[in-house]
Amino acid sequence: MATAQQIRKAYLDYVLTNNEKPKSVYVFVKKLKITEADFYQFFSSFESIEKTIWFELTFETITKIKEQEVWLQYTAREKMLSFFYSYLENLKNERSFVIYSLKNQRGKFSTPDVLTGVKPIFENFAQEIIEEGLDSGELAERRFLSKRYKDALWIQFAFIVNFWINDDSEGFEKSDEAIEKGINVTFDLFQHSPIDNLLEYGKFLSRNGKFAEKMGF
Amino acid sequence: MGSLQKKWAFKYHMKTQKSIPTTKVERSAKFVKTGIQIGGNYIKHYSKKLFNPEMDREQLNEDNATDIYKSLSELKGSALKIAQMLSMDKNILPKSYVDKFTQSQYNAPPLSGPLIVRTFTKNFGKTPENIFDSFNLSSSNAASIGQVHQAMLNGKKLAIKIQYPGVGDSISSDLKLVKPFAFRLLGMSERELNIYIKEVEERLLEETDYELEVKRSIEFSEACKNLDHVVFPKYYPELSGKRIITMDWIDGLHLKEFLQTNPSQDLRNKIGQALWDFYNFQQHELRAVHADPHPGNFMITPDENLGVIDFGCIKEMPDDFYYPFFSLISTDVIHDKNKTIDAFRKLDMIHADDSPEQIEFYYKSYKEMISLFAKPYTSKSFDFSKPDFFEQLYIYGEKISKMPEFKQARGVKHFIYVNRTNFGLYTILHELKATVKTDTFKPNVTA
Repeated sequence: MATAQQIRKAYLDYVLTNNEKPKSVYVFVKKLKITEADFYQFFSSFESIEKTIWFELTFETITKIKEQEVWLQYTAREKMLSFFYSYLENLKNERSFVIYSLKNQRGKFSTPDVLTGVKPIFENFAQEIIEEGLDSGELAERRFLSKRYKDALWIQFAFIVNFWINDDSEGFEKSDEAIEKGINVTFDLFQHSPIDNLLEYGKFLSRNGKFAEKMGF
Repeated sequence: MGSLQKKWAFKYHMKTQKSIPTTKVERSAKFVKTGIQIGGNYIKHYSKKLFNPEMDREQLNEDNATDIYKSLSELKGSALKIAQMLSMDKNILPKSYVDKFTQSQYNAPPLSGPLIVRTFTKNFGKTPENIFDSFNLSSSNAASIGQVHQAMLNGKKLAIKIQYPGVGDSISSDLKLVKPFAFRLLGMSERELNIYIKEVEERLLEETDYELEVKRSIEFSEACKNLDHVVFPKYYPELSGKRIITMDWIDGLHLKEFLQTNPSQDLRNKIGQALWDFYNFQQHELRAVHADPHPGNFMITPDENLGVIDFGCIKEMPDDFYYPFFSLISTDVIHDKNKTIDAFRKLDMIHADDSPEQIEFYYKSYKEMISLFAKPYTSKSFDFSKPDFFEQLYIYGEKISKMPEFKQARGVKHFIYVNRTNFGLYTILHELKATVKTDTFKPNVTA
């Protein structure tokens, strides 16, 4: 009787050696000397194996960073940074798989199929952090906009993972820079900024248009 | 940033050129401004590119170089100015690079806590919490290309220097960026300027190699351990790596803070003597010298010693530079015209294809420079507090910076760092108003 782990391992070994999926589940299970029923008990398709791996990598990372002693002292910004650093550290162990699974995705602009399981847990996690930041005043509450903060972070997620895949610097140092700079910029935008004041001022002026007219504007 | 606003900013710079930013905060503010302008240049570039994809990077590079240079030329603080001018016009730019890169890093935002943790796990497989008894995640100050944190281990206070990621890369790319601009500005050919740029780049890249720095720090502190009143932190190679250096924390005051305490003349002399001995022992006994006499690299400890805390930049002096140069300073060579010209030829200050008039001209100008440089060596002790000496240096520098003859590349590349070191040392001694015995470690040219 095969376990999910064994099937997963065999599948990884197969795709990384052959750089393509097995022709069919039938061929795959035959080689592994298990029955199709064994396979379908755990996975509905090859894609679902890949999705599971991605899901686990992400889930593990989130669990692990929350166990750090400093976690509670971190600001929202630092929590997000911590996630990405640890995430790449974690992905490093499966780099070949990560490259394989993303290179085989068509359509650059939509979320790749293999990441459909990752997106909700990442967004959940991001939302949790954003709400903490909004509560503490670290991030600016903006009507309509603050609901979209998590989307901006998902875009960063896609960017950073893609950057890392193509990163050939020693120790993936450039990816570290991409995280540090990218996340900082994103959080800078989430914070209170002169734009907020400008908008406030604009609102004030439009509400008091009559007064402005009198002044000869 | 709108072009109008930029123009205004430019005019403003021109007007205030005379006030040189002096404090660290002001200087860093200056660079932050440059940083913003450069950022603005990129935004300008990409927004223009949106509408005109054919636009090349030339314009962008020039915008950046102009902004960098503008801010550099304002930064010629007293310490740097003399060294710059004496290192000849051609060296002004490489010299400015050096200062830019040592200072401009202040404009790098501090590393985030998570990135520090990441740097540790990459280097040691452990978080700082797991290595030290305590570790302060907020940095206590900025080092040239990194930041310094305090930690405790087994009851000892440690200083941990962490390098910003990507520093090496940005040094090379920035140098490339400003190079074409420099050729035009100085009217020099690429081939001529390249030797100097390469020298600067080599030193700067060495500074990013923390493994090398630890090795050298240990070697130099061992070699210099018998010098009076000079102390070094202990280094911990096992807790250091590519991006991390761990050493003992040295308590004490920086030069500026020290001077504010109104130290007695005796104490000034003592610290000044320690500095003089430290540099001249290295130059004449080790033939390799800590080439970054930046006041921030020294601490004056509570028990009145000079603490040296940074060995990132080391300049080695090869024999074919050391002998001709220091024989000009410490022997009678300078009184013999033929021998002097011969030494100038060896140092590439007079070229083989120079006309007799040119030889005469450069002989006179360089002789004046060398005698100024050698002045502290000509007596047994020298009072650096006197302004005359520095005024002479200043006047000389001003004079030659206006001479078209000095627009050419002259002098071997080693001058850049040797000048920077010695004039840097003279300037610190001047600030200390110290009188030092200058015959403690003399040039050793009897080969």
